[in-house]
Amino acid sequence: MDSFSLPSSGSPPKLSTDDIMTQLRTQLEQAYAEEFLETVRGKCFDKCITKPGSSLSGSESSCISRCIDRYMEATGIIGKALFNQRH
Amino acid sequence: MDPSSMNSPELQNLLAQEKQKAMISEMISKLTSACWDKCITGSPGSKFSSSEANCLTNCAQRYMDMSLIIMKRLQQ
Repeated sequence: MDSFSLPSSGSPPKLSTDDIMTQLRTQLEQAYAEEFLETVRGKCFDKCITKPGSSLSGSESSCISRCIDRYMEATGIIGKALFNQRH
Repeated sequence: MDPSSMNSPELQNLLAQEKQKAMISEMISKLTSACWDKCITGSPGSKFSSSEANCLTNCAQRYMDMSLIIMKRLQQ
């Protein structure tokens, strides 16, 4: 994530702090959603589509469905593990 | 709402908070990816086995342990 767009025009409107933060959070959420999608696509392709055929088989489709659920679950497990850490 | 200056302390503070949250999100994202590769070796099932779930938890915590060791070592 390297750039955040703010509206640009001939005479830029003054943005309030609220406006800036709202735009930032919206763009961050979008960036995370895209990153998550890209990661899940990669993982589930590796796990589930081992020999690409001329169409998606039923077992490939159910594998993909389970894979998405498990990956979301894994994200939750990792998040919890990081914040239940004892040193 | 007052128009803001990019240098306002309020904005800088809010940005710093968002940066922290972003760094944590990134860490979770990277760790999930790495630990998935280490722990989920077979085809995904309709739930995690307890060994898979434990592996994921262990993976994240051992990563944090390692991180601490590395930091301490680099401070010597």
